[in-house]
Amino acid sequence: MAERTLTLSIGPQHPGAGHFRLIVVLDGDIVVDVKPDPGYVHRGAEKMAEYRTYIQNIPHLERPVIIDSSGILFPYVLASEELLDLPPPPRAQYIRIIMAELNRIISHLYWLGIYGVFVGHTTMFLWPVGDRELFIDLAQMIAGARVTFAFFVPGGVRNDIPDDFPDKAIKVCNYYEKRLKEYEKIFFYNPLVLKRTQGVGILKREDAIELGATGPNLRGSGVKSDVRKDEPYSSYDDIDFEIPVYKDGDCWSRCMVRLGELYQSMNIIKQAIKKMPSGPVKNAKRGVLKGIEGEAFARTESARGTMAYYIISDGKPYPYRLKLSVPSFRCLSLMKHLLVNQHVADIPAIYWGLDYWPVEADK
Amino acid sequence: MSLAIDLISAINQAIKNLFKRRITLRYPEVNLDIERGYSYDPKAQVGIAGYKGRHILHLEKCTGCSLCAIACQNIANCIAMVKLDVSYPQNKKSIFPQIDYGNCVFCGFCVDACPFYALFMTNDHELSSTDKKSLIMSPLQLSIPPVKKKGLVQLEIDDRGPYHK
Repeated sequence: MAERTLTLSIGPQHPGAGHFRLIVVLDGDIVVDVKPDPGYVHRGAEKMAEYRTYIQNIPHLERPVIIDSSGILFPYVLASEELLDLPPPPRAQYIRIIMAELNRIISHLYWLGIYGVFVGHTTMFLWPVGDRELFIDLAQMIAGARVTFAFFVPGGVRNDIPDDFPDKAIKVCNYYEKRLKEYEKIFFYNPLVLKRTQGVGILKREDAIELGATGPNLRGSGVKSDVRKDEPYSSYDDIDFEIPVYKDGDCWSRCMVRLGELYQSMNIIKQAIKKMPSGPVKNAKRGVLKGIEGEAFARTESARGTMAYYIISDGKPYPYRLKLSVPSFRCLSLMKHLLVNQHVADIPAIYWGLDYWPVEADK
Repeated sequence: MSLAIDLISAINQAIKNLFKRRITLRYPEVNLDIERGYSYDPKAQVGIAGYKGRHILHLEKCTGCSLCAIACQNIANCIAMVKLDVSYPQNKKSIFPQIDYGNCVFCGFCVDACPFYALFMTNDHELSSTDKKSLIMSPLQLSIPPVKKKGLVQLEIDDRGPYHK
C-alpha cells in the first residue's frame, strides 16, 4: 500500500483565500487520505483582545474575515453591549441589519467569483466581482470604507445612513435581482457546471449534524437551521424572509443555498429600509467604557455560518477573556469527511464549495 | 433534450451580455465622485456619514490634548504629537498630531475622540508614495484641504446595466 500511494501538498500558498495546506494521499487519481494543515495565519486574536479596550478591539477583531467584516463584528457588539450596559436604539438595529446583509452579499459574491474559477468557468469570475462593486459602493456610502468598515460599536452604529441611500439601495437591489436570473442561466443551471458539482462531495444530513457544520453547509444538507430565525437578534424577528434549504447535500446544493441567500438578503435590505423607524442611532457614554463584572454570550449568523463570542469581564476597560467561535473552523472536519474517495480534480470544487476562509479559522 | 436547452440558454446569455454596458471605471482618467469625508459631532456623540480617507486638521481649533493619539493606541499607533513653530492661543504647548499613513487603518476612531471639531477625514484616497518617509504627514501637510479632482463620474443603472457617467 505504502509504495502505491503518492503524498501531495496542496498549498500552503493561497489555495483560494489565505494560506492553508491540504496534505492529500493519492492512489492513482483517487484521494485515500486527507490531512488539513491550518495555522499559517494564526495571530492570536483572542489574546490580543485582552490588551485592548472594547472600542480598540473593533478594528482589530474584524481583520480575520475582512470579506465579511460586519458579520464577525456583530456578535462582538451584542455581547459587549450586555457587559457595558449600552442597549442599541431601534433605528441602529435596522441599520445593523442592512449593513450585515450587504456584507453577506459582498462575501457570497466573492465566494461565487472564486468558485467560478475553481470549476473552470471564467465568466462567473468576472461577473460577480464586477457586480460586487455595486454593493461595495452602497456599503461605502454608509460606513465610509470599502472592506473593513469598523461600523458597529457597542451602543449602536457610528453614524446615520445618508439621505440618498434608501433610493439607491432599492435601485441596486431591483437591478441585481434581475441580474441573478442571468447568473442562473449561465452558471447554476449550466449543464457543464452541473456535471462538475452535482453528486460531488455528498454530505448527508446526519453527518452534517454530527460533524458540526453550520450555515450554508448545514442548510445544503437539508437542515433548516439559521440563527436569524431560531434566536432572532437585533429586530430580525420583524422581518419576513425565508431560509433556503436544499436536501441533496452535494456541492450544487451548497451553491444553490448561497444563491437563495443572495435573493433573501436583498429582500431583507428592502424590508429593513421600509420598516426603519426614525430616532437616534447611538447610545453613548463619555470617557473610557468599563464593563460590569460578569460574562456575556452572543451568536449571530454570519455569511459562513454561526459566529459566537463569549466575553468575561472583571470590571476593567479590557475584556478579561474573549472566546471567538468561528464557522470556518468547523469546515476542517467536513473536509476530511468529504474529500476521501473523490477524484483529485474534484478537490477544488469541494474545498471552495464549503466556503472555508483560512484566516477566520486560524484567528 | 433539456441538456441541449440549458446549454443553448447559457450560450445565449453570454451572447446577450456582449451588448451590455461595461461597469469598469477608467480610473486614472476619471474619478468616482465622493462627496465628503467622515466627520463627527462631539456634542451629539454621533458621526456624519462620509468617506474615510486622509485626515484634515484644523490648526486653529486643535488644543494639543492628545486624545486622538490615545484613541489610536493599540489600533495602529500611527499618531504622534509633534511640536510646531506656530502660535495659536488655544494650543499653549504648540503640539499637533502627525499621522503615519504607512500604519493607519482608516478606522476613524481618532475623529470620534476629538472633542474640539479639529480632526476630520476627507475624500482623498490617493496617498501612495515611493518611500516610507513621505507617508508620514506633518500637521502642516494635514491642514491643507485636498485638491478637487477633475473628471468626476457617478454610478448609474439603466436597462443595459450599470455604468459610470
